[in-house]
Amino acid sequence: MFIDVDCSQLKKYNQNAYGDYFVSKRYPDEGRLIAVLSDGLGSGIKANILSCMTATMLLKFVECEVNIKKAAEIIMNSLPVCKVRKISYSTFSAIDCDDDGNVKIVEEGNPEFVWVRNNEIMVPEFQEVVSKEFANRKMKTYKFKVEKGDRLIFCSDGVTQAGLGGPRLRLGLRREGLIEILKDKLSKDNKISSSELSKYIVKQAKNIEIDGKPKDDVSAMVLYFREPRQSLIFTGPPYHQEKDPEYSRIFDNFRGKKAICGGTTANLVSRELSRPIATETTISIGNLPSCSHMEGVDLVTEGILTLTKTLEYLDTEIGNNENAGVKLVKFLLDSDCINFMVGAKLNQAHYDPNLPIEIEIRKNIIKKMAKVLEDKYFKKVSIQYM
Amino acid sequence: MGKINVKVCLGTTCFVMGSSNLQELIETVPAKYGEAVEVLGVPCLGLCSIDWEYSRAPYVKVDNDVVYEATVEKVLSAIERKLGNE
Repeated sequence: MFIDVDCSQLKKYNQNAYGDYFVSKRYPDEGRLIAVLSDGLGSGIKANILSCMTATMLLKFVECEVNIKKAAEIIMNSLPVCKVRKISYSTFSAIDCDDDGNVKIVEEGNPEFVWVRNNEIMVPEFQEVVSKEFANRKMKTYKFKVEKGDRLIFCSDGVTQAGLGGPRLRLGLRREGLIEILKDKLSKDNKISSSELSKYIVKQAKNIEIDGKPKDDVSAMVLYFREPRQSLIFTGPPYHQEKDPEYSRIFDNFRGKKAICGGTTANLVSRELSRPIATETTISIGNLPSCSHMEGVDLVTEGILTLTKTLEYLDTEIGNNENAGVKLVKFLLDSDCINFMVGAKLNQAHYDPNLPIEIEIRKNIIKKMAKVLEDKYFKKVSIQYM
Repeated sequence: MGKINVKVCLGTTCFVMGSSNLQELIETVPAKYGEAVEVLGVPCLGLCSIDWEYSRAPYVKVDNDVVYEATVEKVLSAIERKLGNE
């Protein structure tokens, strides 16, 4: 199973920093994922520091399987004390899970998470753990197994208390209201990604707020256990030309979405598989060469320039046009497991100092792209050099 | 006489060396020659990797004739030559 995780957030109205903090890390060798959502006391920078410290420390503790009671005590003792309230406080939800569906969760102070299976709400068993040092810190720990298609939704109280005191929902949205929103959305779109669902929850919470102004930080963290969406990107001709047929066959036989990034690569696949390349009647869109088309391939682009631009988009923000880089970003973000086949053959012409721009080595771009895809977008990435 | 095929190389080298400026051909050629000439962008003509020492990108092919350091003017005159107008 693939664990699709994402989190969407909104700042409290009039604040310039998020008071909730989300952090997630994958451990590809163990097929394991840890994600933490923390809500710091108050709002703005102060809350941001508290929640950031809590989430990052907790991630480390969970990673090392430190006793959770001990971990929570260490965190509480480490947090800076609020000048006004003379206390230090943050709430958290942490999940430690793996590809086989084994899930361990610890919650403290955050709204109880929601477990959805086939659009029904599951009720997991839990144990209560009380800290000796901090009697008011009651934690709930859960241990259960999820199945393919299950979702786990965590949120900060900014979601469940959205609309509090308003004419429509005097007590706020509450967990029941969140469940209603989830059931409604999932009945219409049961394959929705975690990224889209978390955005949807946050948007709904904002809409419920009076004047659409959140009175607290709003966060929704979603995990979706599903069949991974595989994709393969073939870029650059293989170092040994005699291997062209073999790699073209591997590419052709791949089950999942496929892209080719590189003119020479497109030509060699076209030659080996006897599939013509159809081109568009434009030369350039958004400063990049336009795409071509090949039967059985979802996207065919130019190589280095498009990859460089794509990396820039992934690093910063996606471009506002329909160029090949934007298409490649969408292709990548619509995948869970991304496989790169990277040809090691260099085109000497790319390194001519007379070229008006510097062209980077393909291997380096792909390495950087893999890192961004893993660290920022939580994708599983594999690279095969040819 | 068959249709003349003009292929503009959209490979990396050609694109940065100026084929990105040949979009004009896509618009002007059909207006000027109608169905007789077709202009397309193609993934890579593979010429820079053979000819790289001379750095003569961007390359355009007018049928089988290669236009080096292609500009709109050079491509148009290559088409004219093909049509026997020059």
